[in-house]
Amino acid sequence: MKFLCIPCDEKMETQTEGIMPEEKKNLVMKFKCKTCGHSIAMLTNKFETEFVSKLGVQVNTTAAEAAGTPLGVVSGALAEGKEELKKGAPAEDNIEWTEDAKERIQRVPFFVRNMAKKTVLSFAKERGITVIDGKLMDEVREKVGM
Amino acid sequence: MKTYEDLAGDGGSNIIEQVEALGEKLRARLDRIKHKVALMSGKGGVGKSSLTANVAACLIDKGHSVGILDADLNGPSICHLLGVKNSHKLTIDDRGVQPGIGSHSIKLMSMDMLLSNPDSPVMWTEEADATAVWVSTMESTALRELVADTNWGDLDFLLIDMPPGSDRIDNIRSLIPELAGVVEITIPSLLSQHIVSKSITKNNKMKVPIIGLVENMAGYTCPHCEKEGPLFEGEDVESLAKQKNIPYLGKIPFDTRIGRKTDSGSLYYMDNKDSVTGKAISSVVDKILSSIQ
Repeated sequence: MKFLCIPCDEKMETQTEGIMPEEKKNLVMKFKCKTCGHSIAMLTNKFETEFVSKLGVQVNTTAAEAAGTPLGVVSGALAEGKEELKKGAPAEDNIEWTEDAKERIQRVPFFVRNMAKKTVLSFAKERGITVIDGKLMDEVREKVGM
Repeated sequence: MKTYEDLAGDGGSNIIEQVEALGEKLRARLDRIKHKVALMSGKGGVGKSSLTANVAACLIDKGHSVGILDADLNGPSICHLLGVKNSHKLTIDDRGVQPGIGSHSIKLMSMDMLLSNPDSPVMWTEEADATAVWVSTMESTALRELVADTNWGDLDFLLIDMPPGSDRIDNIRSLIPELAGVVEITIPSLLSQHIVSKSITKNNKMKVPIIGLVENMAGYTCPHCEKEGPLFEGEDVESLAKQKNIPYLGKIPFDTRIGRKTDSGSLYYMDNKDSVTGKAISSVVDKILSSIQ
């Protein structure tokens, strides 16, 4: 699916810096025209969200990243899975994720989880924050979420 | 106004590239496995998993390296049979998940290895009103991940322990187009034969290669005196194979010890190769080998 800015006749780009999906909720994606700056939101219903999540592909990620996420769908979807499956966010230089934050990021639909991680990390780095916890994630959602 | 084709990319998600990358990963795993064989039956309770485990043990005994994929997502039993406990710690990195190592160095992957407790059911984080369509799609994806994300390494055989019924073979066939074939398993009862007959018909219609039909629990063998007696009343299973024009791989008498490991941690076959049932398993395996090699 692609979005076109009609006045500019230009492709609208995914706003990766503004993705912070609410855990276990339907997907909301923001798109922005780089020429005129106009933004739109794509709102998916439950069935569309679920269907995409089960294909095993991820939104706005590279093919290498998608292939390099073993058991990505199962780990996010298994209700009573082992802790090793829920390792959550990868370690980042000087940034630590609390257990609560790891659990919450794991609840974000698999196919947009990497985007959500990038958003939270970018938010933390900009502010010199070294520990990502649930409170910070609430803050991120308030700031960029929809 | 520009059209879809005028806009570069596929919407920002590289979905086509991702699907291709996932396919390449699956292919890279499968290319290191010489033969893939599914053991199935339209009917539940015919001893598929126990037989799969013992066929694996027999193949190991004949000098082959073997892995088992437990494709029975909702009723996994291979971990239990091969002695891989729920406390087994998963090792996951970017390259995949390490398979469990069961009795006789048989590699395995099963949903049981992913669950937090031994009695945890396989449940997806669906809403209560999730439809069967979503669950089915989820299970197909889970099966693909179990095959493609497990570091099987080099194997001579990957045995696929199928769930009861004949629907999951569609998934397996699309994931593993080079499947050497399926081994159909029935017990002598008329009910079992009736259901397995449908499974064979479906596979024939779908052009899934059938290696042959095994008659499991074909009589009872006393573990003490090896005297045989009837267990089920039924018609000749060999005639079903003839009627369906598929090879009859032989009959395996029931032995009460077959579904459990011995005190030494071995599978039944390894400690009872010279029993009537052990010899029958070996004979079936020889026929499978000659069929696919």
